[in-house]
Amino acid sequence: MTTDRHGTTGHDGAPPTVVDLSGVHKEYGDAKALDGVDLQIRAGEAVAVMGPSGCGKSTLLNMVAGLDRPTAGTVRVHGQDLGALNETGLALFRRRNIGMIFQFFNLIDDLPALDNVALAAQLTGTPARQARRRAVELLDELGVASRKDTYPAALSGGERQRVAVARALMNRPALLLADEPTGALDSRSGEQVMDLLIDLNQIGQTLLIVTHDPKLAARCAGRLVEFADGRVARESGIDEGTPERTA
Amino acid sequence: MSAVWRASRAAVARRRLQTAVIGLVVFCATTTVVLALSVLTAASAPFDAAFDGQRGAHAVAAFDAARTTPAQLADTARRPGVEAAAGPFAQADLDMPEDWLGHPPGRLTVVGRADPAGPVDRVELLAGRWATAPGEIVVNQGFRGSPASMLGARLTPSGAPPLVVVGFANSMSKSAGGWVTPEQAAALHPSGLQMQYRFDSAATEGRVRAGLAAATAGLPEGALESARSYLTLKSAYSALADSYLPFITVFGVLGLLVSVLIVGNVVSGAVVSGYRHIGVLKALGFTPRQVVAVYLAMVSVPAVVGCLFGTALGWALSGPVLRVTFAGIETGTAALEPPAWLVPACPVAVPALVAVAALVPASRAHRLSAARAIAAGSAPRTGRGLRVQRALSGTRLPRAVSLGLGQPFARPGRTALTMSAIVLGVVTVTLTTGLSSTMLAASAPPEGSAAGPRVRVQVGSAAEHQPVPALGESGSAALLRSTPGAAAVTSRALVRLGLVGHDETVFGDFYDGDEAALALHVVKGRVPAGPNEVIAGPAFLDQHGLKLGDRITLDLRGRRLPVTVVGMPLEGNARAVGATAAALAALTAEPHVVEYDVRLAPGTDAAAYAAAVTAAEPGLRASASSTDPNTATATVIGFSTVFTLLLSVVAALGVFNTVLLNVRERRRDLGMLKSIGMTPRQVVAMTVTSVAGLGAVSGLLGIPLGMLAHRLIVDHVKVLVFAESMKDVWHAPQLAGLALAGVAIAVLGALVPARSAARLTIAEVLHNE
Repeated sequence: MTTDRHGTTGHDGAPPTVVDLSGVHKEYGDAKALDGVDLQIRAGEAVAVMGPSGCGKSTLLNMVAGLDRPTAGTVRVHGQDLGALNETGLALFRRRNIGMIFQFFNLIDDLPALDNVALAAQLTGTPARQARRRAVELLDELGVASRKDTYPAALSGGERQRVAVARALMNRPALLLADEPTGALDSRSGEQVMDLLIDLNQIGQTLLIVTHDPKLAARCAGRLVEFADGRVARESGIDEGTPERTA
Repeated sequence: MSAVWRASRAAVARRRLQTAVIGLVVFCATTTVVLALSVLTAASAPFDAAFDGQRGAHAVAAFDAARTTPAQLADTARRPGVEAAAGPFAQADLDMPEDWLGHPPGRLTVVGRADPAGPVDRVELLAGRWATAPGEIVVNQGFRGSPASMLGARLTPSGAPPLVVVGFANSMSKSAGGWVTPEQAAALHPSGLQMQYRFDSAATEGRVRAGLAAATAGLPEGALESARSYLTLKSAYSALADSYLPFITVFGVLGLLVSVLIVGNVVSGAVVSGYRHIGVLKALGFTPRQVVAVYLAMVSVPAVVGCLFGTALGWALSGPVLRVTFAGIETGTAALEPPAWLVPACPVAVPALVAVAALVPASRAHRLSAARAIAAGSAPRTGRGLRVQRALSGTRLPRAVSLGLGQPFARPGRTALTMSAIVLGVVTVTLTTGLSSTMLAASAPPEGSAAGPRVRVQVGSAAEHQPVPALGESGSAALLRSTPGAAAVTSRALVRLGLVGHDETVFGDFYDGDEAALALHVVKGRVPAGPNEVIAGPAFLDQHGLKLGDRITLDLRGRRLPVTVVGMPLEGNARAVGATAAALAALTAEPHVVEYDVRLAPGTDAAAYAAAVTAAEPGLRASASSTDPNTATATVIGFSTVFTLLLSVVAALGVFNTVLLNVRERRRDLGMLKSIGMTPRQVVAMTVTSVAGLGAVSGLLGIPLGMLAHRLIVDHVKVLVFAESMKDVWHAPQLAGLALAGVAIAVLGALVPARSAARLTIAEVLHNE
């Protein structure tokens, strides 16, 4: 096996594996959030994770992003065993490999849109001018360049999420994680964000989307993973509408 | 249990760390305040209490018995403005040729009194009994102590019958050196009559003089020989303490200011950070007044606990601190205790201050609508802060640093309070550094002193049952010079002198030998060049209304010597003048040397030299001189160090609280920053930078203020005169170090919350959103 920017390349010539979860358990006290999860995501895939509240969807996302550590099992992302990294290692890993989009955007209120986006690159040491130039390009691509000097409080929900997406893409991540990206948006803004995610996937961006919204999953993902009680209950190819695997 | 109390208890339990910080800050602040107020009050209050307890005399006047009669003097008691009077008592000056009960030879003023009671100057008997028969004397004792072992001692004045000591007593009015029966006083050929007055109004020196003038208005010219105001005694009482009072006052005021600022900052921060909680309370149906009550109760609980512990510790510390501060001062019967009113006052005043500090932000909570409070979660940020953040984001600084530098602008009020506390902390550190340097420079050997170990040689006194040198003064000096290792020998003679025109006696220190000029330690004016020149300290000059160049007349057993004050020593005794042996020779030919200072050649064993001297002449008690700083220096440095530590801790706690609040308010931002790759080290750097910048600016502001405060203090210590070289203590490396003091305080306070920020669990923070 070899590793490229998108992950581990298989012997079969298939796209490399970007995410590889094997027997992942996560417990909070007596509560089991994840109970032996196995999941692989290949480069260029768009995978939607669905399930009822408390089934472990967000915990899964946190594991993949390196925001939380499993109680047992291994999480490999882009060929890297996250369990082997300390906090600094995880931060550097996220910086290089992960882009995150949140339901409530999580923009910094003190910074205008442009600086919110540039921030991700500046943390890596990219000079301010260069980071801002790339941020303008991204905002332009996402259709919010005219709002670059506006503070988050003055942006609409859709605009905020576009700015958040731009920030997530700033460091050209191998994997884009989205946690209920349309959950806090009106339907029109939600549609816009969905289109954006589809466009990104079409140009090769690997996506992992956690959502309650079947419409979002159906439109944006090529594969659906259904969770129940901390386990993968069902996996299906959305296009085929047929189950690939049932727990 | 009321809903308000229940909600307050729940809030206290939920905010354990913040509650602990409020308690700790109030604890440190109260300890500082109690200590400062104890020392400030003790500087004069004990004298006032003891003086009032004895119904001390506002003026003690001596009259010429040849120019007035007892009846005329008795009439003065009934003059307008005289509240009470005692006397006339016969007053005689005895000449004591030898040391007596630890006092040097010289004049002893005795007064004839049948008993210690009376309308004025109720003398307090400390040991033994009052004189009831001829040949008995009660000696005035400056200290409360246990002189009973000296009862029965015989005093042998020149030209008068011996007197047996039957008691020791204290007069806060210092109306006499000793008391005998009226019959005995008459037998001692009194030269004068003493009257003691209390006036209706005696708050100032002018009023005392006016009262005395009114009382003695009808007396024959020249009848009043001398008079002394109680204000002079009061000033003398605190004379030594005066050397530290300006320092202590400044530290006390600094302590109060820092405490108020930090308490205000901590308490208002607690309210501001609780806006969401306030919104929830209002949504539940709490009235605005109940919300304010919840927040006042929430901060008052730790404040009261901290205050009680702070009062207890401050009270426990102030006793020993006062004893050290006033060590060696004639305290008479004054009780050196911290004022009792502090015990009830602090637990009332400090929580009240906390409540006032909480009231301002709590009133904002009062006005805030429930919806807005819940939505905002914290106070809105300002436009200026946003502009600064934006400007910083375009700089070349590492992003974590520029983010940190911009944070203080988001909360200008909180930043101002935190910065003020750091500025005061830096002022304190600068001031302490300056004072310590000045005091150490002052206690160092005078400029021009040669290096080498020193030996102090005390001359034995027969009055204290010690062997007296058989060699005499010149023989003793010759022995000291001839003992191997001696490089320079300087002698000090001590004599009690009269001061013409003044009632009390003063001490004369007369130096002779190789380093007499250096021993006088003149820092202003010049060293006496002949027998008619003396030096006197600032306290002496102040109390006698003199200045450099003025003339006074010394009196030793009737032999008078007019002298000019030509110089001032660094730290002159309020009751002493200094001169060379030439002046003493002009007054007396008798030996009065009490000690020698011997400088040894470098490398000489001081202990071996001292042993050799004492072996050769048992009347000379030699010991190696300590090189430790003197008491005043040690006290000032000790005080400033304790206060500096306390104030720095309080200031750092203020920073700690500010950073803690900021971290809590920015949890979501921190989680987001970590999610996009901010490393723990960058989080610490950002958080520490957010206050380190304030620390650096505070350092730049605090250093000049501290230097100014240092200059003001060293220029206004009444009893010390510092040479310019002692005041000029600032050097570039030292200032550079001080510039870091603000940063150090800030970093010290920020480090713990910064590390906790770095450890925030991102998933938890973001999931909570």
